[in-house]
Amino acid sequence: MVFPAKYSSLNALELSDEARRILTRIIRVSFPHAQFPDGPYERMTEKIIEASAESSWFRMALTQGLMTLDTLSEEHFLELPDDRALAVLKRVADLEFFAFIRRTVVLNLYDDPEVQQALGYEGESFSKGGYINRGFNDLDWLPEPRIEESGEPIQDQGPLPYAVTAYAPETSSKPVDNVLGDSGIIEEGSTR
Amino acid sequence: MSSKEQSAVHDHDDDSVVVVIGSGAGGGTLAHELVTKGVKVVLLEAGPYLKNEDYHQDEWAAFNQMAWLDPRTTSGSWRVARDFPNLPAWIVKAVGGTTTHWSGATPRFKAHEFKARSTYGRIDGANLLDWPISLDDLAPYYDRAEKKMGSTHRHGRPALPANNNYKVFANGAQRLGYRQYATGPYATNAEPYDGRPASIQDGFNFQGDKNKSKWSTMVSEIPKSLRTGLLDLRPDSHAVQVTHTAAGKVDGVIYIDSEGNPQRQKARIVAVAGNSIETPRLLMLSASPLFPDGLANSSGQLGRNYMRHTTGSVYAKFDRPVNMHRGETMAGLIADESRHDPDRGFCGGYYMETIALGPAFLASFVEPGGWGPEFTALLDDYLNTAGMWITGEDMPQESNRITLNSTVTDRLGLPVPNVHFDDHANDLAMRSHGYQQGSLLFEAVGARSTHHTPPYPSTHNLGTARMSERAEDGVVNQFGQAHDVSNLFISDGSQFTTGAAANPTLTIVALAIRQAEYIVEQMAQAKL
Repeated sequence: MVFPAKYSSLNALELSDEARRILTRIIRVSFPHAQFPDGPYERMTEKIIEASAESSWFRMALTQGLMTLDTLSEEHFLELPDDRALAVLKRVADLEFFAFIRRTVVLNLYDDPEVQQALGYEGESFSKGGYINRGFNDLDWLPEPRIEESGEPIQDQGPLPYAVTAYAPETSSKPVDNVLGDSGIIEEGSTR
Repeated sequence: MSSKEQSAVHDHDDDSVVVVIGSGAGGGTLAHELVTKGVKVVLLEAGPYLKNEDYHQDEWAAFNQMAWLDPRTTSGSWRVARDFPNLPAWIVKAVGGTTTHWSGATPRFKAHEFKARSTYGRIDGANLLDWPISLDDLAPYYDRAEKKMGSTHRHGRPALPANNNYKVFANGAQRLGYRQYATGPYATNAEPYDGRPASIQDGFNFQGDKNKSKWSTMVSEIPKSLRTGLLDLRPDSHAVQVTHTAAGKVDGVIYIDSEGNPQRQKARIVAVAGNSIETPRLLMLSASPLFPDGLANSSGQLGRNYMRHTTGSVYAKFDRPVNMHRGETMAGLIADESRHDPDRGFCGGYYMETIALGPAFLASFVEPGGWGPEFTALLDDYLNTAGMWITGEDMPQESNRITLNSTVTDRLGLPVPNVHFDDHANDLAMRSHGYQQGSLLFEAVGARSTHHTPPYPSTHNLGTARMSERAEDGVVNQFGQAHDVSNLFISDGSQFTTGAAANPTLTIVALAIRQAEYIVEQMAQAKL
């Protein structure tokens, strides 16, 4: 909820310095990358403030969200260690102000040239002649694979006539059953 | 024949022209085939005329330049409706359509995939139907399409070399026991072909390809057509209605021009190729007292049976560098799982293909809604990441459909399309199988971890004006000709009766070549 009229401080157009520091801390804790310098995180703070200026709703949600974060822990949010700050943020993850921060960071942080450099991404390549002479095939920890087709006919129907390591469903093989449903394998969106 | 690439100017009242709506794989190919046979064509393209030099090698800049961003809404249980509620499809609004965004994989359909209903049997909730054509009918057109597009591994075109992502993918495949892996077939030049240069392995296949090595109608069919002097290409021209005579024949198209003014182009024949969301939307917007449920919709199947392929990605982390972003994005296919083998727990098959995203897109799509250390771990070690995509047949369902959402309008004031989609149990079983095989493959070459990324907004949009033998089962016949309106054609993936496992572009091109032959023949016999 937002109470724009009752609390005049919530109508402030500019965030206080402390609110900015809290915002930067939220971004750092939500998107932790040890190898990223401070610059991109600070730019994200500016980006969010800039983006919030375009919508009264976001501006109010952001202002209030930053001001009320301290009520969720005994200590000041800025003084919490990473793990406890993360726990606080998990409690507000469904709130509009956090969703707004998350969306804006995801869309912009990884587009930042300094971030891309930190990740080792090389970006635009056409002006440098592509990667044809700059390492498109420099992986040397695996053997050179075949690039041609096998020449054997591709099996159209039924089991393969050769052995393949495969995940084997244990339950029935009725065609439309979701046989993978209860087998404890990892679901979409998970990492193993 | 002029050698200049200059648009012809056909009169708005010239009712001898064929009007083609959409300049992508279907519309661009059809227009080209018709003008080379001496037919005058007006080609309406909703988007701008972007050329190779205009494209950006920057993911978001390119997306904002090329993507179809007109408002759309979504419903249903698919995850895209939650994560990207206004972006159901990732397609292009520009000359060349989505051939400018596609990456290039060109497998053919298999014989049994034209007979899905007979082969798979009755499946609860699936509205399966056999195509009215067979692989034999389409085979000669597949040959012509592969030559047009310069598919590697076909008709003497050499294979592309192995890039880093492919080395991981192919070695993993081989260790699992897969045999059907290669760097193609893939419609990007490994050596100069058809007046276009060899790949410089610059990546950015999804962003238009500045180097012209990748086939698209923008680099091939459109300029060739302009040189005939018979193509009137009108970019920034958004079709809003197909009009018809009292006798129920179509006679023109109303479109909004680049200045925002409505225009009417008369037509002898109209061919619609606006991709599987806009195509049914346009026919619904063309409803009239004679066609109250939308043009050519006596079957009630218009907009239904929307398919998007069963997709998903697997991204894997290794201890050593991969640099997946270097080189041709999808020049790597595994076909062993493309078979129909119900022992795996589902009908139909899927391909595994290499894929690579830059950090900007990876952050937005690898785990939508994600944040925190688990999320950032997916971006860390970007250099050591390899990726693959699975794409397989999904089940046509009557309730998966495009409708007009009259509560939301676009900038022209027209109701936007709503895209409703629920995964079928068969789709879910196939996706799970693909995820597991993808993880096993990467683990076989030493992956530290693998992540199962949900489907992106749809690039393979199919089936919403499907082909059928009988008029009551679908919208068009075996030539893409509307059952209800003889001079109205559907020329894009909307006409697919079922989706098959293969990436659809090659089949869309083959069908358009076949359709053009039929149109010219019917015109010669004065039947059209």
